Amino acid sequence: MADALVVRGLSKRFGGLRAVHDLSFSVGEGQTVALIGPNGAGKTTSFNLITGYYRPDAGSALAYGHELVGLYPYDVCARGLARTFQVARPFGRMTVLANVVTGALLRDKRVGAAQERARRAIEFVGLSAKEASLSRDLSTIDQRRLEVARALATEPRLLLLDEAMAGLNHTEIDQAVGLVRQLARRGLTIVIVEHVMRAIMALAQHIIVLDHGQKIAEGDPKQIASNPEVIRAYLGTGGYAHG
Amino acid sequence: MTTVVAQAVVNGLLIGGIYALVSVGVTLIFGVVKIVNFAQGEFVMIGMYISYWLATLIRLDPVVSLVVSMPALFVAGLLLQKFLLRRVLGLGDMPQIFLTFALSLLLMNAALLLFTANYRTIQTAYTFSALRLGPLYLSVPRVIAFALAMLLGAALEVFLRATDLGKAMRAAAQNREVAMLMGVNPDRVFGVAVGLALALAGAAGSLLMPFYPAYPTVGQQFVLFAFVAVVLGTLGNVRGALIAGLMMGLAESLGVQFVGADSGLIVVFALLLVTLAVRPGGLYGGETR
Amino acid sequence: MALAAIGLPLVVTNAFALDICIRVFQFAFIGVAWNLLGGYAQQLSLGHAAYFGLGAYTSTLLLIRAGVSPWIGMIAGGIVAALASLPIGALCFRLSGPYFAIATIGTAQTLMLLFLKFRDFAWGAVGTTIPNLGNSPLMMQFASKATYYYLALGLLAVGLAITYWVGRSWLGYYLVAVGEDQRAAEAVGVNVPRIKRDIYLVSAFLTGLAGTFYVQYIYFIDPNTAFSFNVSVEAALVSIVGGIGTLWGPVLGSALLEPASALLQSWLGGGAHAGVQLALYSVTLIVVILWRPTGLLGAVTEAYVWIVRSTRPPASGAGRAIRKGAPLDG
Repeated sequence: MADALVVRGLSKRFGGLRAVHDLSFSVGEGQTVALIGPNGAGKTTSFNLITGYYRPDAGSALAYGHELVGLYPYDVCARGLARTFQVARPFGRMTVLANVVTGALLRDKRVGAAQERARRAIEFVGLSAKEASLSRDLSTIDQRRLEVARALATEPRLLLLDEAMAGLNHTEIDQAVGLVRQLARRGLTIVIVEHVMRAIMALAQHIIVLDHGQKIAEGDPKQIASNPEVIRAYLGTGGYAHG
Repeated sequence: MTTVVAQAVVNGLLIGGIYALVSVGVTLIFGVVKIVNFAQGEFVMIGMYISYWLATLIRLDPVVSLVVSMPALFVAGLLLQKFLLRRVLGLGDMPQIFLTFALSLLLMNAALLLFTANYRTIQTAYTFSALRLGPLYLSVPRVIAFALAMLLGAALEVFLRATDLGKAMRAAAQNREVAMLMGVNPDRVFGVAVGLALALAGAAGSLLMPFYPAYPTVGQQFVLFAFVAVVLGTLGNVRGALIAGLMMGLAESLGVQFVGADSGLIVVFALLLVTLAVRPGGLYGGETR
Repeated sequence: MALAAIGLPLVVTNAFALDICIRVFQFAFIGVAWNLLGGYAQQLSLGHAAYFGLGAYTSTLLLIRAGVSPWIGMIAGGIVAALASLPIGALCFRLSGPYFAIATIGTAQTLMLLFLKFRDFAWGAVGTTIPNLGNSPLMMQFASKATYYYLALGLLAVGLAITYWVGRSWLGYYLVAVGEDQRAAEAVGVNVPRIKRDIYLVSAFLTGLAGTFYVQYIYFIDPNTAFSFNVSVEAALVSIVGGIGTLWGPVLGSALLEPASALLQSWLGGGAHAGVQLALYSVTLIVVILWRPTGLLGAVTEAYVWIVRSTRPPASGAGRAIRKGAPLDG
């Protein structure tokens, strides 16, 4: 299986704080991988490093063989990596449709064609009925769906989801898991940062555990669940949320 | 030659005290309320006119009139926050910028209509006195202004660090939501912050009167210097603004000395542009741009 | 309405009335230029006078020193202004929000100071008049005010057309995205720095054209008027009052503010006028900000409305209701 993403020795300091240190992992094409760890472990920072929002002090991130370090986020997106944000960031003045069209325009600047593709993404996440609503008026969950639709509209090969399940109830988690599974079936490579155990167990083929910016464990779900290091890392900070 | 430079340095630092005072005011409002007060200079102007009229009508020494101008402007700050600033919190850049900007225009032109554009000066017993330090002349009113400016700056620092309200302000500046969760009343904290900032502006105005003329647009240059200082000193950092304010005075003075009479503004902007060009952009360390 | 605008000079011959209309078109045009950058992309510039002045001086210099027709000079002025926006933008865009605004004020002020000092190059503080060539269409001077009217209207039409086209195209979406949330825009592939740079180019170019028109109409230029802070303020003001980020906003704002300003000028005359005018402008601005921050055309910006209108109507009636009845205050 070819590698969609290869991260080697990624490191980042903020002042005196070591946010990420010597992080290395690989994600195979078509895999769904979870990045987990207690709060402050460096998960979102890793996303930011990979997608060009921060420049790492050291290390590299190769996506489909191309180096991402040094690229700006919009170029990273053009290479096929899309990401969502922990707190949804819709373009408030725009409608749901307009938001997703903005994403779709990456691949094809013709507005008509972009609207078609945007509509498909909107339908996929289940927001069709609210297509004409102002995005800033949406509920938090709908804004999250919008975020995913917008990311999908850029036609990524690799999708990075940052805590997409946070705060969802059981039914919503199941729906979200179903959505992610569908994306995986379509061949999308997916990396999720998650706290919600149920989602992680349901989706992840491979799990990477971070603590204090470093990788402390890696393996399939069963291995991780019984790994004493992982348990210790979580117990120290109050554990994780059961989905 | 060195005497000339040394004199320029001294003069620059002395006026820098005033710039520092104004800069700290801007930083305080920006740090706590997250609004850039375009009208800060106009409150300096108001402080100047207050002191001018007190000096002219009842012969009150401008430095003494601090006890009038500062409380008056503190109250003005509370009102400003309550009736205007509070209404645009969280609305985004555009309303906030244009609100204080419009206020600045309004105050300037109101002053123009009320007081005419004439330069107003006062003379105190010490307006032309100077201390001698070796070959250097230190103008007494400027020394007084500098000393009191630094005193007020230090007092503010103490307030922010040692008192509950001050700490609440710093907390609100750093993280509004968490501060509110911890029981900090944002309205009160914001009001006091704006009140203090305006009081400092008023103080700057009163301190300027012995050696500076008052006129409707006098605030403009001070606020411009203040903004550059705030940017240089890192947005929201009170101590940084203080130091940068002193630097501004220095830069202007040296500029006037070596480049030419009107060059103060250009020197300052050149400083800003150079800093912008060299500084790695972004407010948060580590971002790619 | 367009027909009325075109037909007006045939009916109205009062010079004062025509003058007001020309002023309205002038400032609507400058507002439209500003709006592309400040309304759509939310980069709030308070230094657009820099480009106004550069355009005005370029064409005047070419005219007086080289006898070049202002028609060419106008285009040249626009290009000079656009080119100036590149280094200015490169520096100023590093700052955000209020600090960007301050930096833009600084650039306009710096240019004013430079032109005040350059006595040899550009007449310094005294400025210059342009030679009165009588009715000389090739040199952009006309005997009849009506021609100036049509010229101003034409410029405005060009500005509106550009805004309309931009709004409906991919650039419109990208601009609003940049205006809303730059980081989120980057995440979906929007090259934010390039978009800002490009729209600044267009905005500066158009503002430069306005500068040339102004000189040709007034027959006089000096640094204080060309790089006047008032111009920068009015550029932003008409857009904010009328409807920031909308197609017709600047036109509406200008139609309201300019006649009021002109009447004020004739009523008060001279010195007092400047102070009262600005005082009233500022009160207007404060009222608008507190009451309807997005301007009189409402919180639902037309950029958004087009984006929605340009789609096929949604199948459900509810969708349409949501669109039309969208809340006015965000």
